Amino acid sequence: MKLNRIAIPAAVLAGICLAVAQYFVWVYAPVEATMGQVQKIFYTHLPLAWWALLSFFGVFVASVAYLVTRREQWDLLAGTFAEIGVLFSGLALLTGSVWGRAAWNTWWTWDPRLSTTLVTWFVYTAYLVLRSAEIGGAGQRKIRAVVGIVAFLDVPLVFLSARMWRSIHPAVFASKGGGLEPEMWTTVLVSVAAWGVFFAALAMVRFAGLLQQERVNGLLAARRSFE
Amino acid sequence: MRKALCIASKDLRQVFLGGSGPVQAVLLGLLLVFIFSLSAAPGERIPAQGAAAIFWLASSFSLVLIFNTLFHMEEENEVATALLLAPVSPQGVWLGKAIGGMVLLLLTQLFFLPAIIVFLGVEPPDDLLFGGLLVLGVDVGLTVLGSLLGAVSRGSEARDSLLSIIVFPLQIPLLLAGIKVGAALLSAEPVQGYMDWFGIIGAFDAVFLGAAMILFPFVFGSE
Repeated sequence: MKLNRIAIPAAVLAGICLAVAQYFVWVYAPVEATMGQVQKIFYTHLPLAWWALLSFFGVFVASVAYLVTRREQWDLLAGTFAEIGVLFSGLALLTGSVWGRAAWNTWWTWDPRLSTTLVTWFVYTAYLVLRSAEIGGAGQRKIRAVVGIVAFLDVPLVFLSARMWRSIHPAVFASKGGGLEPEMWTTVLVSVAAWGVFFAALAMVRFAGLLQQERVNGLLAARRSFE
Repeated sequence: MRKALCIASKDLRQVFLGGSGPVQAVLLGLLLVFIFSLSAAPGERIPAQGAAAIFWLASSFSLVLIFNTLFHMEEENEVATALLLAPVSPQGVWLGKAIGGMVLLLLTQLFFLPAIIVFLGVEPPDDLLFGGLLVLGVDVGLTVLGSLLGAVSRGSEARDSLLSIIVFPLQIPLLLAGIKVGAALLSAEPVQGYMDWFGIIGAFDAVFLGAAMILFPFVFGSE
């Protein structure tokens, strides 16, 4: 398959990019004066959170595309993005929790970004449960697409309401320069790009796997009907 | 609209003539309120925010039971195809289910409000106008979502838990608004300082009302 041929070099490239990003994190970027080495979590936490959000947007776009075209590849792509989004947002929550313990002396606190990430993690984990529940008969793909759309519509409302509730998260990019040294900025950009390549490679591998699974299921169903 | 009211009236008659009505939803909510009252020492009062949170939690669990009942009725009586073939648009079915669900939810909340006053020791709200607006605003959002996604878990053996895990996180913005304004009402604070929260409720209702009108036909009639 074409996708498999691209996926393997992409995965190797992702490994190299992540290794380069680690060089920037541990060697190039200066140690932050107040938090020390713990601040290095930021270079993993931020890209994970951003790519998770993009992944969820991918679920939305693929779900809309499925309802419009009815091509099953879009449904599988939505599933791929949901799985990666849940993985990345879960890791963002874990790294955020470690950061919170070091910075605010608590593993968890109410914050719009943290709470929004947690709520979206719940929503898309439920979406994955729905995908595996095998309900709705022939129309289950349509049902998944509807839930994929509704889930993303909720994200801005969750963020707004969580921000109105309370916030203590640092506004890293709110002001010009965001209080980051130029080397830190460069490291952030390199990390985001490296995790982006990893995200793309992971998406290709998983999507190719789901396509294969779908083909095998189709063949098995055809064999059963023949027997 | 007339056809939607027809469906709502059919559903409500079936629920009440079936004998049990929304008893299960009311009982579950009352149990939650009672169990939550154990979190305070004897003679101690639960803070207004805690009481508001348990009110909306009880309402959320009721919502799941109500919409599973409403969507399970046709399945149970094997007349789901009849509803699909009825001369009603899918949006009419969705609206009918939403209206029926709203009536049942309001009915269950009539039991929950006195329960939180009695068991949790909060004062009854003075501002009935804003209290009514809050409950109606949040309930519209809850039922819009419940009616759209209630059909999702049809056919699943674990439909109660499936609907809960899908609906609960989605309704977080509404619950935050309901808890914040509800706490102000129960502690006799002026609600004018919380008008932004009504904006969140309005935005949620509008977004999901529009989404449900467009998306329900894909959910309903998919079998």
